[in-house]
Amino acid sequence: MSAWLLGAALALLAEPEAPYAGRELVVMVDEKSFESWSVLEQIARDFEAAHPGLVVRVIDQGGAVGQQDKSRFMLTGDLPLDVTRIDVTEFGAFHAQGALIDIDAHLRALPGFDEANYLDVLDGFRAADGHLFGLPSTFTPYVMYFNRDLLARAGLEPPQPNWTWDDLLAVARATTRDTDGDGRIDQWGISLTQWLQAVVPWIWQAGGDVLDPTLSRSTIGEPAALEALRFLRRLLHEERVASFDATFENQYSQGLFQAGRCAFYGPVGYWETYRFKYLTEFEWDVAPLPRGKHAATAIAMTGYVVPRTSREPALAAAFVAELSGPKYQYTLAEIGNGVPAWKAAATSESFLDPRRAPRSENVFLDVLPEARFLPSLANWRKIEALCQSELQGALLSETYDVAEAARRMQEKTDAFLAGEARRANLPLLPRFALEACFALAVLGALAAWIVRRSREPRRGFASDARGALTLLAPWAVGFLCLFVGPAAVSFALSFCAWSPLESIERVRFAGFENWFRLASDDTFHTSLVATATYAFASVPLGLALALWLAWLLRRESTLAVCVRTIVYLPAILSPVIVAATWRFLLDPDRGFVNHVLGLVGIAGPAWTRSEPWIVPSFVLMSLWSVGAQMLVFLAALQALDPTLEEAARVDGAGPWARFRHVVLPQLSPVLLFNLVLGLVGGFQIFAQAYVLTGGGPGDASRFLVLYLYETGFRHLDMGYASTLAWVLFAILGCFCWVLVKTSKNWVHYAARSRG
Amino acid sequence: MSARSWNLAALAVAGALFALPFVFLLAVSLAPEGRGLAEPLAALRDPHFENYRLALERMGGFGRLFANTLFVTVVSIVGQCLTCSLAGFALARISFRGRDVLFACVLATMMLPEQVTAIPRFLLFRELGLVDGFGPLVLPTILGGAPFFVFLFRQYFLSLPPELDEAARLDGAGPWRIYWSIALPLAKPMLATVAIFTFLGAWNDFWTPLVYLYSDENRTLTLALAGFQRSFNVAVEHMLAASAVVLAPCVLVYFVAQKVFLRGVRVAASKH
Repeated sequence: MSAWLLGAALALLAEPEAPYAGRELVVMVDEKSFESWSVLEQIARDFEAAHPGLVVRVIDQGGAVGQQDKSRFMLTGDLPLDVTRIDVTEFGAFHAQGALIDIDAHLRALPGFDEANYLDVLDGFRAADGHLFGLPSTFTPYVMYFNRDLLARAGLEPPQPNWTWDDLLAVARATTRDTDGDGRIDQWGISLTQWLQAVVPWIWQAGGDVLDPTLSRSTIGEPAALEALRFLRRLLHEERVASFDATFENQYSQGLFQAGRCAFYGPVGYWETYRFKYLTEFEWDVAPLPRGKHAATAIAMTGYVVPRTSREPALAAAFVAELSGPKYQYTLAEIGNGVPAWKAAATSESFLDPRRAPRSENVFLDVLPEARFLPSLANWRKIEALCQSELQGALLSETYDVAEAARRMQEKTDAFLAGEARRANLPLLPRFALEACFALAVLGALAAWIVRRSREPRRGFASDARGALTLLAPWAVGFLCLFVGPAAVSFALSFCAWSPLESIERVRFAGFENWFRLASDDTFHTSLVATATYAFASVPLGLALALWLAWLLRRESTLAVCVRTIVYLPAILSPVIVAATWRFLLDPDRGFVNHVLGLVGIAGPAWTRSEPWIVPSFVLMSLWSVGAQMLVFLAALQALDPTLEEAARVDGAGPWARFRHVVLPQLSPVLLFNLVLGLVGGFQIFAQAYVLTGGGPGDASRFLVLYLYETGFRHLDMGYASTLAWVLFAILGCFCWVLVKTSKNWVHYAARSRG
Repeated sequence: MSARSWNLAALAVAGALFALPFVFLLAVSLAPEGRGLAEPLAALRDPHFENYRLALERMGGFGRLFANTLFVTVVSIVGQCLTCSLAGFALARISFRGRDVLFACVLATMMLPEQVTAIPRFLLFRELGLVDGFGPLVLPTILGGAPFFVFLFRQYFLSLPPELDEAARLDGAGPWRIYWSIALPLAKPMLATVAIFTFLGAWNDFWTPLVYLYSDENRTLTLALAGFQRSFNVAVEHMLAASAVVLAPCVLVYFVAQKVFLRGVRVAASKH
């Protein structure tokens, strides 16, 4: 008895037991608001309290600019990651490439877990065998936004829930007009979105589909799908009651709908509700998509899954359930960046707040029975990209043959699907093959250099040479380990098939396949042309502008010093900020540039939204950042020998002749310097296009580095991305070699310089 | 109108055009929430300085972010200046077998886009256990990661008269002595130039911190700024206010260092 008492007393005195001591949960989230972030922190702390000893680390994914790069790298590097957020269109890829853990059993073992607590969207993260691999965060069906006031002015009723394509056509006809009588339509019936996800619902409504049920063949060229595409073309070109809207690329721009210049806008999702938060000029609302033969719409959704690198699948599953459970979902409902998947939250006032537009928020719930997910494919994103430019052509161009375009989309998709199937059967690369490449390249570079060195005649003092090598040692270590080695690995990868979702030990050998693909890859050709056009336009123009500015600013007056500072300022901005600023300036409707052009009577082009104007837009932006080149020219101009110019003046040479025959030759070394750097920089344009257009419209601004980045990190094809990189490397190498070789003919070095 | 007044007019117009986006950024960042884009001039009548207070608040732990960014930047500057000047000096002032090949190697590193070597590099840093620390951010700069700067230093050292080190060499000074006591002190303008370029690069870098830093206590300013840019329910005005905050040190450094900077570029550009 006393022994028992003693034991009990000891147990009370002892530290509270921590069964989860030393265990950790790493959770990667991508929260769209600061409010939800603090709730998330609270959930993590509560979870820790419920699991004594456990540490929950919440990491931020980095947002729209970095998208999923961070989780990709963690998976690639086999770093521990227990919960991450993915888009439902990526689920197929993650699942097919073994990047996820099956948490079905863990979820069902949780007390109180019941599928009936969720809206009917769980299938998005369900594998073919019925197992759940994740739970949704928020989702949205595609719907139609409309301008209630505009309809009322035209004497029309808001659409009924079961309205049809014909109803849409009738309303659009009645609301399309030329309000100011200048012969141009300025109020449209409908502003159509035209990316693949937004077009698929029309195809479903017509009874067609994009892929056959086995997901191995495209069906976008079949009659039902064609009927849908023809209907959209009819709205756009025959009836001329629809305009297209590209604002999805321009988060902050003011589209037709926001300007109150169209009755309907869609198909789009709930995210627009947030964008229209400040839209108080008219009452806007949402309606289901009109129905064709069938009622149908698509669902966009994000959710939480447990990646293969998790060490705590059971705990991770429990945390996933927390994230899509009531605690968090009510917060998401309040914030309103999507429809919460938790049924009680979605039907509560938190979500269906009657004081907040849109009035018919329940439409998002009502259309669920007819809503479907996009095909769960290993690579939906790639298919989307393959179809995008054809789709835009088929819908937007007046003279496009729809059947022809659909056939090309089908061909491209089929070829891609067949390639994917083939790649799965390629042999795995032996273990340590890449490490061997790295080591061989480093040793090889060293050996090559030693051999090369031994062939050269001895020069200088021996002790100096040893000294020189020690001086170069830190740079050499960096060169070998951070450039030669990684470059060799990427060269090896260009002969392989590998997705960065897989472990680096799952690299497959593909032979020359990636290199052969270059010949038939239309996107690559377009991208090469766009990149070259950009580089060859922006470099000479930039050099000319920089030289002109430097010429104006070469004297030391107060004004010159001020302007010099201002001109250099844009060059110190991060390209991300530069691009964001230009997005506002070049906006076709409300942008400053077109406003100014309008003042002098020029109708400005659509800049970043029109294919012919997109490269010029980037050239224009690049001109704004010529500050660094201007400085180099300025420095060179100020270091010129003034006696030469003076002598020419005495000989009676005019200003232009003096510039052309005296100044320019002296500047030629600097010109070469700026030319080489400009070309290298121009061919590597990336950040601006990434932030501003994401490659569109069509493929018009899919510059080479952007394309290779997308190929590697979005379409998960590191092998081909490496091939593209080496092509770029070869092109740049050739240009620079030619420039330097031919420069002897036009670059004049002063007699006293050495080198 | 005389040529001179034409020049003045052209200068004024150029200045205004180049300043425009900045004015725009500042104006919108001071405008009342939700109105900035529609009427950027609203800020003139009624500047909303609380946009800035809110932006700072929402970044969370500004002191920590600032300290991290500053640490990475300073280490990068010191490392970059030393390594690149060492390499540039050796390539310019010492003649030894294999020098030209090495210089070609420096130039070659400029031509491969960094996105390509990113994954192999990441795997390497993981093997070294450096992920989620500042190592992957500063090591590439310490090891002379920017070929452009090696190139600049080489050009600069080439421009110095040969007599400088010949005298020292006759006195028996080795390359390290000459570098440290003759070349480096003379290279101050170039060091300033490279320091500023490195400052701007390290300060504005977004992708490397994104990929390598996980812990909250390691975050840098650009990561916090990206938090603004992705947020759906952050007003444009607040986002641009945050951008202006991150941008301010760059502008400041540039204004202060402008003169030295120009001198460095001038010397590098004058002789090739």
